[in-house]
Amino acid sequence: MRASSLLSECLAVLSKDLTAELRSRVALNAVGLFGLTTLIAVAYQIGPYRIQEQDRPFLLAALLWIILFFAATSGLSRTFVKEEDAHTAKTLRLAARPLAVFGGKLLFNLILLAALFVFIVPLYCALMGYAVAGVPGLVAVLAAGVCGLAGTSTLVAAIIARASGSNTLFAILSVPLVLPLLVMLIQGTRAAAGAPDFAVVLPALRGIVSLTGVTVVTSIFLFPVVWHD
Amino acid sequence: MRGEPVPKRQQRPGENLPWKPRKALETLHAASLASRSPRLGPEALACSREVSVVSFAIVSEVSVEFSGVSKRFGARTALAAVSGRLEPRRVLIVAGPNGAGKSTLLNIIAGVLRPSRGAVAYERDGEVLPRPRWFECLGMAAPDMAVYEELSALENLRFFARVRGVRRSADELRDLLDRLGLPAREHGRATGTYSSGMRQRVKLAQAVLHEPPVLLLDEPSSNLDEAGHRLVAELVAAFRTKAAVAVATNDPREVTWGDARVELAL
Repeated sequence: MRASSLLSECLAVLSKDLTAELRSRVALNAVGLFGLTTLIAVAYQIGPYRIQEQDRPFLLAALLWIILFFAATSGLSRTFVKEEDAHTAKTLRLAARPLAVFGGKLLFNLILLAALFVFIVPLYCALMGYAVAGVPGLVAVLAAGVCGLAGTSTLVAAIIARASGSNTLFAILSVPLVLPLLVMLIQGTRAAAGAPDFAVVLPALRGIVSLTGVTVVTSIFLFPVVWHD
Repeated sequence: MRGEPVPKRQQRPGENLPWKPRKALETLHAASLASRSPRLGPEALACSREVSVVSFAIVSEVSVEFSGVSKRFGARTALAAVSGRLEPRRVLIVAGPNGAGKSTLLNIIAGVLRPSRGAVAYERDGEVLPRPRWFECLGMAAPDMAVYEELSALENLRFFARVRGVRRSADELRDLLDRLGLPAREHGRATGTYSSGMRQRVKLAQAVLHEPPVLLLDEPSSNLDEAGHRLVAELVAAFRTKAAVAVATNDPREVTWGDARVELAL
């Protein structure tokens, strides 16, 4: 009988991943550099003045999520791929309960994405002259986006970890799952930028939360099979 | 009682190990000795503490039966209808030339690989355990397993203790590393900077730190020097007093540790 709870085992996996990441900084560098490079390229070519005023709410919201999504893609798959590459996956498989691994990796991806968003979003707003009328609404959409992207990418990362060419596979498998999420995130961001009222983001938020909930619950049931077989 | 000659005890396998007993077991072992031999005085009990083999507190006994286990990788057959049994207090040697499927068999027994045919069953106190619970009973060290390179040996053990749900103090973990021949000055260094032999010792430590009733060792002395080899022999001797042990090896010295043997052919 185990003396610990599932939560403490999740936190152990999270703490191990955070310590390892802070020492190697592989995922942080990948995500951060990809995000920054894309942002600077977009800002340099488009900037705050090259978009027609009527197109700004649509294009700026879409560009923000394109940058965030692709930057996230470059690092999120690493949580499981690294375990397989370093031959620690089998050790972890024999030691930890599958749900503890899933929970720990999900929390790690949440933190990694949150760090990316905190770094990129203010820079994007400054470089692209993106004026946001409803900051609380945007924060809520971004938080929901972090949860949605992390939830989706954690399971996909576990699925692709044992395959060769896993980064390509990650993008291919992620897109159909993430596409509806991205559409709702862009709509929510556009709504938050255009009006200070929090209610305008609620329809998009409901959709994002529902989709994230379904993805995470499905992942909880699927993950033990994916992890052990 | 002071000054009385201590009755000579029958020597048990692995008795002269450098493993220190844990407190609860120390008491248990001393109490059991006292009940068996009322003539034993405090000196005798103290002596028994010093030489006690058992540094682990395995509560239940688990046996593992594998029958008709076959494994195919595409067109290649890695294992063909292998059967055997791991029993408590016995060491099963899995021998055979390279590529005969020793590691594959151990992986199947551990549940990290599904057999193409055949079955593996874990039984504890007459109850057949479902596959998700096998891992609670298992400790394993193998060449294709690694510990986290960014973490120190101590951090690795602390992590594995936490995810396995066992409580071990830093002193206990340091003690375990010491006993496995990893000097104290190395405990805090990242294992990525270790030699392969030192990493092997950390791998062995993570395999035994939760005192599993089933211990699977695949090429346990690989990368180890002569002292390391002796240490593995002592570890196996210590575990055979309580646990079911399987060792996959080609080393003629290790083959002699076994009570039973599965010989695999190419």
